[in-house]
Amino acid sequence: MKTIKKYYRVLRELVKLRFQNLMVFRLDFFGPFLVDGSLFLVQLLAFRAVYGNVEAVGSWGSGEMILYIGTFSLLNAVSMTVCFFGLIGIPGKILSGEMDLYLTKPVSPLFRLTFEKMNPGSVPLVAMSLCIIAYGARKSGISIRGENLCAYLFWLAVMTILYYNMEVLIRSMSFYILSNARLDQLEEACLDLCMKLPGIAFYGIYKVIFYIFLPYGIMATLPVQSLIGEMTWKGVAFGIAVAAAFSLLTYVVWTGGIRRYNSASS
Amino acid sequence: MKMRKYIEVAKVYFKTQFAWRADVLFNMIFTISRILFAYLLWRMVFSGKEVVSGFTFHGMLSYYIVSSFLSQLEMSGGISGEICQRIRNGAFSKYMILPVSMEGYFVAMEAGTVLFYLAFDLIAAFLWIFIFRIEFAFVTDGAVLLCAFCLILLGLFFMVQFAYYLGILTLKYQGIETFLMIKNNLMALATGTIVPLALFPEAVVRAMRALPFYYVTYLPSMLLTGKCREEAVVGIGIMTVWCLVMQILIRRTWAKYSRKYDGVGI
Repeated sequence: MKTIKKYYRVLRELVKLRFQNLMVFRLDFFGPFLVDGSLFLVQLLAFRAVYGNVEAVGSWGSGEMILYIGTFSLLNAVSMTVCFFGLIGIPGKILSGEMDLYLTKPVSPLFRLTFEKMNPGSVPLVAMSLCIIAYGARKSGISIRGENLCAYLFWLAVMTILYYNMEVLIRSMSFYILSNARLDQLEEACLDLCMKLPGIAFYGIYKVIFYIFLPYGIMATLPVQSLIGEMTWKGVAFGIAVAAAFSLLTYVVWTGGIRRYNSASS
Repeated sequence: MKMRKYIEVAKVYFKTQFAWRADVLFNMIFTISRILFAYLLWRMVFSGKEVVSGFTFHGMLSYYIVSSFLSQLEMSGGISGEICQRIRNGAFSKYMILPVSMEGYFVAMEAGTVLFYLAFDLIAAFLWIFIFRIEFAFVTDGAVLLCAFCLILLGLFFMVQFAYYLGILTLKYQGIETFLMIKNNLMALATGTIVPLALFPEAVVRAMRALPFYYVTYLPSMLLTGKCREEAVVGIGIMTVWCLVMQILIRRTWAKYSRKYDGVGI
């Protein structure tokens, strides 16, 4: 209880400091919203063009695809609002030795890195994603009942954790290697691919890669499948196993990295 | 004699690329995400259809191979960022004191870089054709090939002009980074690198034909894969007019705002 109170106070201070910082650079406030908002609108327009020529892609009609884009946009929006801008600084802080400042504070370094650069300017992106999801649900004609809504929210929570784990895992590799540029490039390429392409499109080796080793393919697919009633028990077990495995892997890599960290010479 | 200065600039930038060998290699490898996206998406779409909007499955993949190759060659995005950054930190004087036209310098810089990447992008294209076993459709008509080549050159030149123009707008608007990122998102759609513009409704395609972006990647890709022959000559005419318009716009903007630069940063 005492620890929770302490972390709550730290979080409150971090939010306060962040707002003060953002007010200095007011023009940049809504920048992430505009950039990512335009990105997902472009995806919607592109798929509208595709669905103008075909009725379905695999088993999914245009409504399901809009749901998919909205869900991926929501996962991205939550990350952008809460932790993205803090986590992207990890490799630089390891290289420069600035991580010392985080390790010497009486609070978990990962907690501080996660919440120190929250970006309230991305909140409209969350709202926009919810609108896309609502539009997709209406277009696909699914009936939203308590059970599939709960399942959808559950999978959203699980996949938000998985998305966060992937972000931390990739940045934590900087403890072990000199430059993180290639891994950032890999993450960018995977996100670029999987935000446009639902998991149902993958097969064979591609499915193994994007479902197990780089699980970007399941991040928005499983929540949508749970909402439209395509989720199987095998899918449930698989999704939870992947999220749990990556949580464990991230924990091992992060704690191992912290132990290995040797200040500016890392 | 005048050209020699620019050829030297192009040579310097050509040689500079050797310092970034890993970047070249990984840029080449990560072009796979575009082709993989196209392969998996259109494989699903074509599973129940032979032809979509005039494309066969292999015709569609050929389009993506060519458009991916051309969009990789189009590397002018960095010019706006470089100008913007240097104006903001007061280091733009570096370009102003050079005994060459600034715009010409950037054109030569782009030419040197593009020539270096040309071979690697070609290797990547052949590699993806081989790996994905694409029955590559390529035009054999010499006149169409010549027109496509002219359009590619005009398109690359226009994009340098456009990037230069956006860069010097920093003199007026100070911070254009957010706008540049939004522009990149929109350009992916407008140049037909996400989906071919032929999939859009006819009215949209007609409107696109009036814009220069239609002729940068989309039309050359269509010409090289044996489509839209009738648009080739008109396309060259329209693109030439756009290059002239952009040149006038650059001159007027520079004449109006160059005096605002004081060499000490913003």
